[in-house]
Amino acid sequence: MSTTPPSGQPPDEPDQTGGQGWSTPPPGSWSTAPPPAQPPYGGGYGQPTSGQPGYGYPGQGPVGAPPPNHLVWAILTTVFCCLPFGIPSIVFAAQVNGKWAAGDVAGAQRSSDMAKKWAIASAATGLVVIVGYFALIAIGIAGGMQSGQF
Amino acid sequence: MDAVTQRHPAAQWALPALVAGGAALSCAVLALVDPNERGNYPLCPFLALTGKWCPGCGSLRGVRALLYGDPVAAVSLNPLMVLAIPYVLYTYLAWASERVGGPVLRRICLPATAIWRLLALVGAFWVARNIPAAPFSWLAP
Repeated sequence: MSTTPPSGQPPDEPDQTGGQGWSTPPPGSWSTAPPPAQPPYGGGYGQPTSGQPGYGYPGQGPVGAPPPNHLVWAILTTVFCCLPFGIPSIVFAAQVNGKWAAGDVAGAQRSSDMAKKWAIASAATGLVVIVGYFALIAIGIAGGMQSGQF
Repeated sequence: MDAVTQRHPAAQWALPALVAGGAALSCAVLALVDPNERGNYPLCPFLALTGKWCPGCGSLRGVRALLYGDPVAAVSLNPLMVLAIPYVLYTYLAWASERVGGPVLRRICLPATAIWRLLALVGAFWVARNIPAAPFSWLAP
């Protein structure tokens, strides 16, 4: 997740119309760097986005894909890490898309960075808890073996 | 001009393979070592500290139930986990496919309002599953 090179700027607006449950961005939108504000039809590369004719009103939100919101890490933390760390991760993920839709490119990037920090922190904490637990068990077993109690 | 495609092919495959291998290994351990027996896995830190269920409690047992083909038990242990699995799997597939230069899958990009609703859902689920009365207690693992 950390190696996310900038990809081609898709030549359309992000789907920030709100309301609909699932909106699909143009493919290749795993970009970390906020794309420069270039006019539509700019790059020549990027996938055609003919599947979403009704979305992307001009003048609403910056052009291109928002910074990664790392929502999948927030969900993984919430559901699998057994740690309430997932809550701030969800908040920052929502801020990324909200600020981007409002035209706040720098703010969206800041929230994206915070979401990433929380994702790393929660993953590391989960790993430490699990590894530490099994290390303690291993030490306990070793200690038991030394004292003759299996 | 994508930097991903310029990387060495082995490096492109390494991380998706590592993630898939880690997930497969975790599932294998979960299938072999029963989380229903106390002490086989560390207790949820939140549960250990507060005595209350967290939104993730029941996920280990739930995934094990899924591995053994019992989705009803999985839903009763943690419905959020069951809902999350398709999203997590699809996100992995889209990421891995893009990384190795496979078919481009559309990324799921939820609008901010949907993510705020998700947060409210998690919060409500968290509170509700700790209420020790009939309709709510069904949400407890």
